[in-house]
Amino acid sequence: MSKKVLTVDDDPDIIAFVKTVLEENSYSPLIARNGEVGLDLAREEKPDLVILDVLMPKQSGIRMYRELKADESLKDTPVIILSGIAKRTFLRSQEALTEFGDQPVPEPDLYIEKPVEPDELAEAIKNLIK
Amino acid sequence: MLFVTQFEELWFDALQSLMDLRKSGFNHVVFLHVIERDKVAMHRGKGYLKDEETKLREIANIRFIDWAESLFEQGMEVGAYIVVGNPLPKIISTAEEEDVDLIVTGHHKKGKVEELYAGSETVDILRRTSTPVLVYKYMLPSGKINERPFEKPILAMDWSPASERAVKYLINFRDIIKEVVVINVASEKDIKGASAMDIQATRKKNRQRLDEVCDIFRKEGIEAYSHLYIGDTCVEIEKAAQEREATMIVAGATGKSGLKEIFMGNVAKKLAKYSAFPTLLVPANIKPEIN
Repeated sequence: MSKKVLTVDDDPDIIAFVKTVLEENSYSPLIARNGEVGLDLAREEKPDLVILDVLMPKQSGIRMYRELKADESLKDTPVIILSGIAKRTFLRSQEALTEFGDQPVPEPDLYIEKPVEPDELAEAIKNLIK
Repeated sequence: MLFVTQFEELWFDALQSLMDLRKSGFNHVVFLHVIERDKVAMHRGKGYLKDEETKLREIANIRFIDWAESLFEQGMEVGAYIVVGNPLPKIISTAEEEDVDLIVTGHHKKGKVEELYAGSETVDILRRTSTPVLVYKYMLPSGKINERPFEKPILAMDWSPASERAVKYLINFRDIIKEVVVINVASEKDIKGASAMDIQATRKKNRQRLDEVCDIFRKEGIEAYSHLYIGDTCVEIEKAAQEREATMIVAGATGKSGLKEIFMGNVAKKLAKYSAFPTLLVPANIKPEIN
């Protein structure tokens, strides 16, 4: 059975791009357009990997990432952040939320700033899905 | 908070000045940029300008990423919408989708399309949503930057359900309000033909009602003062805001039918369009509490 990869992004072009990379490498793509839907889908489907954007409607990737890491059944799922938002910002944001009283969260397994080449993404996925 | 932007000058500084709202529970900012359909619609001999749409989307996206990075680093939750269409329905649908507690729009004095966010269009938003609208102006009439717009609001009471709701809504901001100035404007026609005794009786009654409103604020730990004015409603509200060095005007507003409501709609419309102060307009059917 092929491994499931959940992509959470509101940009249709990015979704199409990642879906193509996943299908060409025999993964099963799952798609969500915002963090709220993404989290529900993750809880339902238990994907083997999550590819997550940061700036999205309804719920950002920053918040969804925290929710993933707080969920016992999902906290060990590897996460690639794929975003136009800088990694430094993502980490500072998580620090700020921890200062406001939220639980600290580990760094994501991989952070890629957009754009990404298909081979680079495929290689990253392969390395993280064991 | 839904922050509607056409990337006006100093608009990011305006957004930063609203970050104080975090203390009142506003920790989620949703950006909305509407690409007007005319800019990309079917043109004779050219068809739909898909490349132009892509270019405009990317320009907006780059700006939003820059803004979002700054807010994310302050621990805010941020979302963004870049859509093509008519601004009014897009503002309404996004406000509903995100279940926002406040819509912030800009104010423009030039340009036909840009006028959309001011005046009657603001009233149209209020007519179709239960969410308060803040028509934001970043510079105060004194020429100073309005760094804390909620610090000293002036609340115009007309005893309508909408203005009563405005009282309750303002209480949500108790942590950032230093002082509220509560006013009532009696129009000259209201006292035309009345005896001196009647005028004094009206003044006394309104004064008592204003003091009751002040007591509501004081019970919440907000200092409040009352003042009575007489004359043209909008002119006097503006004058009061200047005299009291207010940082914002707050008024109830409704777009429902009926003479009183039409009058109020006009006051809201004029304040949104002409006031030099940020203007917070609260509809009568507002949600009881902020999220």
